[in-house]
Amino acid sequence: MDEKETVSFGFRHVDRAEKASMVRAVFDSVAERYDLMNDLMSLGVHRLWKNAFVDWLAPREGGAYLDVAGGTGDIAFRIHDKVAGRARITVCDINERMLSVGRDRAYDRGLTGGLNWVTGNAEQLPFVSRSQDGYTIAFGIRNVTDKAAALREAYRVLRPGGRFLCLEFSKVSLPLFEKIYDEYSFHVLPRVGALVAGDADSYRYLVESIRVFPDQRRFAAMIEEAGFAHVQYRNLSGGIAAIHSGWRI
Amino acid sequence: MSTEQTPDLDPRLLEILVCPLTKGPLVYDRERQELISEKARLAFPIRDGIPIMLVDEARPLDEDEGSKA
Repeated sequence: MDEKETVSFGFRHVDRAEKASMVRAVFDSVAERYDLMNDLMSLGVHRLWKNAFVDWLAPREGGAYLDVAGGTGDIAFRIHDKVAGRARITVCDINERMLSVGRDRAYDRGLTGGLNWVTGNAEQLPFVSRSQDGYTIAFGIRNVTDKAAALREAYRVLRPGGRFLCLEFSKVSLPLFEKIYDEYSFHVLPRVGALVAGDADSYRYLVESIRVFPDQRRFAAMIEEAGFAHVQYRNLSGGIAAIHSGWRI
Repeated sequence: MSTEQTPDLDPRLLEILVCPLTKGPLVYDRERQELISEKARLAFPIRDGIPIMLVDEARPLDEDEGSKA
């Protein structure tokens, strides 16, 4: 067969085989300014969303938690704080540079115990089946080429009774607000990205990738297809982002 | 040759790591700082204390490697 399978890369279509390295290039380019980027894309509220996310996870002492695509440690540190360091947290990211940013931050904060860092692909996790009490992925899944494969892997590594939790940009539910947010993200944001980070293309990809990501209901259906039960979601800031939850039972 | 000190991987991390391809067990080679999947015939590098569990980054094992002499 000569026909190549293509997948979305923002609004463009690229070879399935190419997407991972293209996404990696985006994150290599923005790694050091990742927080700033999140501030710009979330209108400054991503920190509150991440707090709400870890509140909903309600990690327990002695638990094992896997945070996928969590290179810079934002979610891992919050889980760590919540259980006063008494949980095993593994951060897995496909991008080595993001992980080293996270690990440096952990050193700076004096956090070492209970935290481990692994370079890995969400579609092909290097972890034992049924080994985790929680699987989290924040602003990561939309960059994964084969989302269904990533969800199946999440299911595999969770113990029965384990929880899947995903935080991702989503579909704004209020029409007027949607228009304003569109204007902001397509016209203002890439320019700001160019000014602040000198990299308009990466920001354009990030904005576009949000729009091609399935909306709340479609994504919930995908989570159910992977085998999860009691799937539900909560909108944050009118649907700019959403948290999806599911259980392995 | 080099006697550079490399910290051992956290044993609790080793407990949960498997080969991403076969999901089979890994053997930790401290000397070479590699995690070896016999089943996949691949050696995954550990760089700066971080295991790189990507198939693209793994080294294919030589024919006589890994088998017990």
